[in-house]
Amino acid sequence: MGKLKIVGCQALSLAALVVGWEAAVRLGLVDPLFVPAPTAVVRALAATAGEALPRLLDTLVKTVIGYGLAVGLGVTAGLVIGSMRTVHQVCIPYVVALYGVPKILILPWIALIFGIGLTTAVLSATLFAVFPIVLLVAGGVRDLDPALLTVATSMGASPWQVYRKVLLPAVLPSALAGMRIGMVFALLGTLLAEMFAGIRGMGFLMQKQAMAFNAAELFAATALVSVLSIAVVVSLEHLNQRLGKWR
Amino acid sequence: MIGDPRSLVTAQIELRDVGKRYETVSGPVLAVEQVSLKVRRQEFLTLLGPSGCGKSTLLGMIGGLVAPDAGQVLIDGEPSTGPNPRKVAMVFQDPGLFPWRTALDNVGFGLELQGVGGARRREVALGLLEPMGLRGFERKYPRELSGGMRQRVAIARALALDTPILLMDEPFGALDEQTRLLMGEWLVGIRRRTQKTIVFVTHSLQEAIALSDRIAVMTSRPGRIKDLFEVPLPYPRDLNSPEVTDLRAKLWDQIREESLRAMEGAP
Amino acid sequence: MKVLALRAAVLLGLLGVWEVVAAPLNPILYVAPSAIPGALLRVFRVGELPPLPEHVWLTLREIAAAYALAVSAGLWLGFVLGLQKTLGRIYEPILAALYAIPSVVWYPSLMLFFGLGPASKIAFGLLLGFFPVALSVLAGIRQVDRHLITVAVSMGAGPGAIFLKVALPAMSATLVGGLRAGLALSVVGVLVGEILGSRAGIGYLINYAYGLFMTAEYAGLVVLVGAAVLALDGAAGLLEARVRRWAS
Ligand SMILES: Nc1ncnc2c1ncn2[C@@H]1O[C@H](COP(=O)(O)OP(=O)(O)O)[C@@H](O)[C@H]1O
Ligand SMILES: [Mg+2]
Repeated sequence: MGKLKIVGCQALSLAALVVGWEAAVRLGLVDPLFVPAPTAVVRALAATAGEALPRLLDTLVKTVIGYGLAVGLGVTAGLVIGSMRTVHQVCIPYVVALYGVPKILILPWIALIFGIGLTTAVLSATLFAVFPIVLLVAGGVRDLDPALLTVATSMGASPWQVYRKVLLPAVLPSALAGMRIGMVFALLGTLLAEMFAGIRGMGFLMQKQAMAFNAAELFAATALVSVLSIAVVVSLEHLNQRLGKWR
Repeated sequence: MIGDPRSLVTAQIELRDVGKRYETVSGPVLAVEQVSLKVRRQEFLTLLGPSGCGKSTLLGMIGGLVAPDAGQVLIDGEPSTGPNPRKVAMVFQDPGLFPWRTALDNVGFGLELQGVGGARRREVALGLLEPMGLRGFERKYPRELSGGMRQRVAIARALALDTPILLMDEPFGALDEQTRLLMGEWLVGIRRRTQKTIVFVTHSLQEAIALSDRIAVMTSRPGRIKDLFEVPLPYPRDLNSPEVTDLRAKLWDQIREESLRAMEGAP
Repeated sequence: MKVLALRAAVLLGLLGVWEVVAAPLNPILYVAPSAIPGALLRVFRVGELPPLPEHVWLTLREIAAAYALAVSAGLWLGFVLGLQKTLGRIYEPILAALYAIPSVVWYPSLMLFFGLGPASKIAFGLLLGFFPVALSVLAGIRQVDRHLITVAVSMGAGPGAIFLKVALPAMSATLVGGLRAGLALSVVGVLVGEILGSRAGIGYLINYAYGLFMTAEYAGLVVLVGAAVLALDGAAGLLEARVRRWAS
């Protein structure tokens, strides 16, 4: 089966889903109070776009700031932890544990200290995104082929040159992998913070619509966020491919 | 035996005009065409030919893994319809050991499929592994064994089925030269003890001459039997004797021609 | 040995620093580690807070239900898409795209649909746990070495034996990894659901303590739940290591 046919089948399936769903609502098989018809969702999307788009931007900004912090912190910590054997042995179990603990548990504390605004959401994004980045970067450094270092040193490279010209390029793939995962986690962290203790952003909006039983508006907001996150992931993927081209 | 009219009736394996064509994205590939061959009971027959000439396909048809789309495969005079683990066991170039099973459990796999109990499987497997120099390795997983050991375990797994026929598809192809020679000597010993009919595939002249009763040289694709050579020499064979040198020269002539054709035919 | 000592030293050092820093600060915002054991005892005893065991029991049941459903659905869909190659090529990319959406976006809808009770938590835990299980089945099926199947067929294995004795063991390492990740995510799903809005469960207790500014009690609960989650994942990790003993 060709690529085109696959895409066709995918489009057809999704279209069938939407049509079936619309029919189910119209025929009264599902309660539009809980599951609004796709047409109603589209109408709600148009009606609430004025309110939703600035909130979407708000969420995106917080995510990007939190993500930037997470990348800076995570890559630095990953390089440090990965470069020193003892530090790696001592610290990694803690990083793994922090990665494994549900971050939602700590969210109330952040909200308690920083209130219900921008800072909480940004820190939440950082908290969610930083650990996978640390783990992947540190792992990338540890997996580095020692022969590469030997070759570079034998050719007279200074420690700084080894770092710049051997270590960083070699670690780049796992760093990029970590940054890709980190992006989704950062968005997750922002939305969760907004849902838990927000007064702005898409997370807050969605939670509000849910509480008010505005199903169509809620679905519209959900669709917007989904599209945003897929767009972010896809564009990151593109960037990734361009950066990784030399490989 | 060669002139014995009985061998016509009691041939252990008989191929009648078998052929196989593969449908691929770039069109059909005729892998084997019109092969007719009889393998006698307890004979060691080697299929020799360049890579891609259809040796594995032919062996697969004998083993019931590949369905011929022309002709017939007879085992003990009966048409073959698929894998027949009571009569035919196979060994491949890639040992294909199950990585999650110990050497012992790998050897017992075929018996397990036949519903043989654990104690009996163990007994059979130990009995096979010990004389193969694998004592002490029964509980090891494949990743803990060397390449030669893995192939021995794979052979033990095939022997455990206790079939009259053993098919071997370049079983030593992935091993280094020394191991390969030793494994060849070892196989001669097994053959003497078990009296099996063996069809062996290789592209190594040396291996074919050292092991076989008869060598079938195949043409490059589509694979046909180009010529058959008897090797009426006792084991162990001196590979520098005049007879061997002579045979090697004849085989080389045949093979050279086909290999050149195969290279020209290659994309 | 030296590493273990260093690890302990790092942990104790951090706790010590925290103790010293937090002591003079507002105890509503910064809880000193020394205050946590006492707070935990209070959580168990004091009538101000709802009784802990009941809530823990509810959360455990929610997790069990969510995980059981996630595993069933994940295995089912994974095998359907993995064994039906055409279906797999059509729907696996859609599955992967859905997985790339931060899962919380689905929670408000689930809450609207299932209400504030346990059903919405179970549904969310199911949704989160489902993806790693299904994707690990797909990855596992792809990893099954064709040659091993040929070997088994040559020894007379039929479809049932191939599945049970070749495919399943061959994919077990990947599958168990997916099952473990699914468990972790089912737990997260239930906890997130409870903390975002509920009337019972351990997440409700955490939220309750936080809402009343009982920060020490909140911290105690968080330490408790965090340790339990890590212990559960650790146990799953041991199981995973056992299953894949042959692999490394
Ligand atoms: N399953 C298959 N599908 C398509 N083509 C195949 C298949 N198996 C073998 N072939 C083709 O058939 C020819 C003979 O293959 P094979 O029997 O493996 O040769 P040999 O074992 O002598 O190297 C080759 O050209 C190979 O590419
Ligand atoms: Mg071959």
